[in-house]
Amino acid sequence: MSGSPPARVLVAGFGDAVAGFLARQLRGVTVETAPDAAAARAELARGGWALLLVDDAIPGGPARDLLRGTEPHPPTFLCLERGTRASLTRADLDALGVARIFFHPLDRQALVREAGAVLGTGGPSPDDPRDVAAAAGEAKRGALADAVRQAWERFRGAVMERVDAVESAAVAVLEGGLDEESRRHAEREAHKLAGSVGTFGFAQGSRLAREIELLLQGAAPLGQAEALKLTDLVVALRRELARPPTPAADPSASRERVAAPPQAGPATGARLPLLLIVDDDAELADRIAMEAGGRGFRTRVAPGVAEARAAVAEERPAAVLLDLSFERGESGLSLLSELASRTPRVPVLVLTARGSFTDRVDVARMGGMGFLQKPVPPAAAVDAVQGVLHRGRDRHACVLVVDDDPLVLASVGSLLEAGGVKVHTLDDPLRFWEALEEFCPDVVILDIDMPRVNGIELCRVLRNDTRWGATPVVFLTARAGPETVQQVFSAGADDFVAKPIVGPELVTRITNRLERVQLHRALADTDPLTGVANRRRSEELMGQLLNLAVRHQQPFSLALLDLDHFKQVNDQHGHGTGDEVLRRVARMLERSFRAEDVVARWGGEEFLVAMHGMDKDDGVQRLAEVLEVLRDEPFEVPGAEPLRVTFSAGVAQYPMDGGDLQALYRTADATMYQAKEAGRDRVLPAGWTAGQPSTAEHVDVLVVEDDHTLARLLLHALETRGWRSRWIADGREAAQQLTGSRPRLRARVVLLDVDLPGMDGHALLRTLARERVLERTRVIVLTVRAHEAEVVQALEEGAFDHVAKPFSVPILLQRIRRAMRA
Amino acid sequence: MSRRILIVDDEDDIREVAQMSLEMVAGWEVIPASSGEEGIRLAAEHRPDAILLDVMMPGMDGPATAQRLGEDAATSAIPIILLTAKVQAADRRRFEGLGVAGVLAKPFDPMDLARQVSASLGWPE
Repeated sequence: MSGSPPARVLVAGFGDAVAGFLARQLRGVTVETAPDAAAARAELARGGWALLLVDDAIPGGPARDLLRGTEPHPPTFLCLERGTRASLTRADLDALGVARIFFHPLDRQALVREAGAVLGTGGPSPDDPRDVAAAAGEAKRGALADAVRQAWERFRGAVMERVDAVESAAVAVLEGGLDEESRRHAEREAHKLAGSVGTFGFAQGSRLAREIELLLQGAAPLGQAEALKLTDLVVALRRELARPPTPAADPSASRERVAAPPQAGPATGARLPLLLIVDDDAELADRIAMEAGGRGFRTRVAPGVAEARAAVAEERPAAVLLDLSFERGESGLSLLSELASRTPRVPVLVLTARGSFTDRVDVARMGGMGFLQKPVPPAAAVDAVQGVLHRGRDRHACVLVVDDDPLVLASVGSLLEAGGVKVHTLDDPLRFWEALEEFCPDVVILDIDMPRVNGIELCRVLRNDTRWGATPVVFLTARAGPETVQQVFSAGADDFVAKPIVGPELVTRITNRLERVQLHRALADTDPLTGVANRRRSEELMGQLLNLAVRHQQPFSLALLDLDHFKQVNDQHGHGTGDEVLRRVARMLERSFRAEDVVARWGGEEFLVAMHGMDKDDGVQRLAEVLEVLRDEPFEVPGAEPLRVTFSAGVAQYPMDGGDLQALYRTADATMYQAKEAGRDRVLPAGWTAGQPSTAEHVDVLVVEDDHTLARLLLHALETRGWRSRWIADGREAAQQLTGSRPRLRARVVLLDVDLPGMDGHALLRTLARERVLERTRVIVLTVRAHEAEVVQALEEGAFDHVAKPFSVPILLQRIRRAMRA
Repeated sequence: MSRRILIVDDEDDIREVAQMSLEMVAGWEVIPASSGEEGIRLAAEHRPDAILLDVMMPGMDGPATAQRLGEDAATSAIPIILLTAKVQAADRRRFEGLGVAGVLAKPFDPMDLARQVSASLGWPE
């Protein structure tokens, strides 16, 4: 063949895949294509063809007419639909000059063989060992990659229709109208997307689609939160599919993914996020790993803290699910604080069988992003992980494009979507109003010249509406004369872009508009003085948090706090200082309540905190800690005494203190007023009562301690949490108050110092045991030297617990809570 | 050695990519079918060396098609590999219980599909 020009083959009426296939399989041959009958006719007229392959169903056909009309023609292979043969005789075919007929679906191997015979090139022999060796070669890989890319270009439209179907489902959920049939349809479409787009080189796309599929699966009703999540996922999927595909460079990577066992070991397959499960319950860990594997995570299981540390050192996980208690070895809390203090922070969700007690508080304080109470279904655990990883993703900007030319719509749509903007297109200007209501666009792009209603008229209508009056409008126009410009701006447009559209220019113009919109939205969502969420935004966020808590059967608490004597601050130090105080309180709250919670200012000196996964006692504890820090760090005022700021707060819990946000707010507000009345500077749980009338005085905590400083410190900490407390400095007096047939004092918990004047702690404890006071009162002994013997003695004498001096107040408070709950 | 593979999948894109992949990488002959019914007919007609069968199809789904293929003496000996986008282990175990030669996950890597098929069937590469 060398020296002679390559034989030319014309492939007419087939996709590029067939042409590409022939070109690759037939060496030394040039393959060209003609998409329809007219093109084929023109090509054949040019002559010089060695072979024609034509589909009978060629657009503008049938091919038989084409063949009759072009004489003479080269050796021809005709491809027919099955069943058409009966209408053709051999004579017909000979008359048409058809050398060989094929049927759909095309048997490509046979085609190559026959073509090779006609062209004298002798197609490849599949049995040729060199060929088999070449099969693994780079050339074939490259050719296949090209073919897959071409296939993607052809199928992309159909794939995007599937995405549309899923998106409509999300919209239907938002409108409350997703019926069962549409839901199943969307689920199937998502399933197909999950199974297909990865093959075209969008591995992340498959994962997103899988997540969508899982959301739609099952029968649980979908709410606003799911709709938003669905929309987010669809947007991410669109953005992903707008990118050029990235085929797996290394086949072993995908092999690993396909075959990944649930407890996949060391890092493989690079791109999937790694979920580290730290739990010595192997069965649960495996079930979670399996679930997570199905949702696009790589997983790794560590049975203890030491193994987890080693795993983290090897590769930074995207998230960690951490059990707190292990049969052997150290507790998970130390690992939690290590991980949370890393930069960037590793999100940790705690998974524990331990009672909620103080654990939730510890976990939150140490930077845990979530708290799951065992037994926990694996799906819920992975939900929570995904929730944490998705949190903070912004709502994507949305653009509505109105143009009667579908080509413009398609090109504007793909340009903007490639820039991460969500695009809705509309080709019928009469449906403009519906589309506005449906999509709530951030920016509207209008064509000027459209039938029935033109863009300028639409813009005027928009500007006259209170709801949409401020929405930016950008015109697309083929007319860019000064008249048009003037007309466009006088109708209230913000900008215009001339057709034909230059991609980067349009994207820049629209992005500029969107940035301004987002800035405005951020301003509209934020309290301008303190930067925390304002009332409007926080109500939305708190609603979502409450729904989440209800669905996952997690507690939810709402705290309302109000600064004490704030008017005096403003009066005495000026409003500038008052504003500084408010900003500082907001910053402290934001620091103390992180990702999971919502901090908001609703005006004046009133703040709200919504706490996910917290009951009200936990909430009281956390807010009390904030209060203590605030109180202990006086506010410096130039030229005046340092200012001490405190607040009063009430905490209400869903559902016992209110069935919705409003009711919870009312209860928290009423409780906050109780805190004010009880002396301010404290945090109370809803349902708190000021004390019971009785012959004996009932207190929550009695402090029996002769160290005045320590006693005052303790009393203040107890009062801050709404606990009624008394202090007695003498052992004998404490015994007299607590014992007798009609004791003057009843306490739920006694904090008992060992070294006391009058009667020492051990003697007092023995007295309380003998007088059967310990049946209703728990004693925590404060030991000084922490001799084991002393501890044992105290416990034998009936103490509930002991704490060694010097102790940290938060630890002591935790022990008191435990004693109260026991 | 040249093989003949029947691919049954209702999704045009996936069917086409799988076909290209097996043809171009392994040089196998591929017969495409877009439904279970068509697959059964083409299997009896062409007696392929193996069948790649999508699980989720409208009408007759993959497991039902596999069962019908198994009941027909003409096709019962042809090994079947299921292609599935279901990744839960329980589903995979259920499919493996159908007596198929293998289960491959969707999305697949076109570069690697032929190797996966060979591996499932114990064919030398």
